[in-house]
Amino acid sequence: MSLKIVGITACTAGIAHTYIVAEKIATAAQEAGHQCKIETQGTIGRQNELTAQDIAECDVVIVAHDIKVGGMERFAGKPVVDIPISTAMKSPKSLIATIEKKLNKK
Amino acid sequence: MGLRDILNEEIIDLNLKATTKDEVLHELAGHLKTAGYINDVESFVKDIYVREEEGITGMGNHIAIPHGKSTSVTKIGIAIGRTSHEIEWESYDGLPVNLIFLFCVSADGDFAKNHMMLLAELAGKLGNDARVEKLQKVETKAELLEVLLAEDAGVAENEVADAEEFDESLISFDL
Repeated sequence: MSLKIVGITACTAGIAHTYIVAEKIATAAQEAGHQCKIETQGTIGRQNELTAQDIAECDVVIVAHDIKVGGMERFAGKPVVDIPISTAMKSPKSLIATIEKKLNKK
Repeated sequence: MGLRDILNEEIIDLNLKATTKDEVLHELAGHLKTAGYINDVESFVKDIYVREEEGITGMGNHIAIPHGKSTSVTKIGIAIGRTSHEIEWESYDGLPVNLIFLFCVSADGDFAKNHMMLLAELAGKLGNDARVEKLQKVETKAELLEVLLAEDAGVAENEVADAEEFDESLISFDL
């Protein structure tokens, strides 16, 4: 089953981790055959911003963050995975595998 | 302006002599000073350590990206070093590092947004295992730049396992 995954990353300094983790999640998702779009919220503001359509069509939302992220209300009614940056950094592949498993069980 | 414009061979060193984290930071900071990116090595390194105190910069996969905002920075850039020794470094996978990307960022709140976007772009590229695998193998600075600038990193030859298995209890989809 191919999933549509969206997400947000935001780290404390907003310079590097935010973007590395975004890439790690997206790569892991794509390698597992899913579509994935991650919005980054860093010192330079929001990039690759999720559209209403992205969110409406998504199966799951991954929020990897160490600081408060903006726009969480956009995900009302969607399954949200809320984890620290470090977890996404260490375990991107098993994160995606676990999401697949749990969504299938629902 | 593109990523190529902030990458400068003068501040890339594929043969760092350093054997410790502190030596790595000083050696790379020395290159930044020589190339006119910072005006003082010690105060720059001190500011890097302030950021190091706040959290881990060893990204796993033998890569570290120390970064800090410092008033000693006069020009935003990124120093890149590779060591032949493995360097002890706090990292997400617990492994030492040998490839270091030292972000050189001005403490001035009015820093150039363009430059910061390019640093962000570069950071994103380092999240890709296939690209990192290639970076470990390059022999010249030109090759290193080529790998960093490539749009598509391709597929890693050796799959990199997660540093840690994801804790399934972190997800509950009971809506």
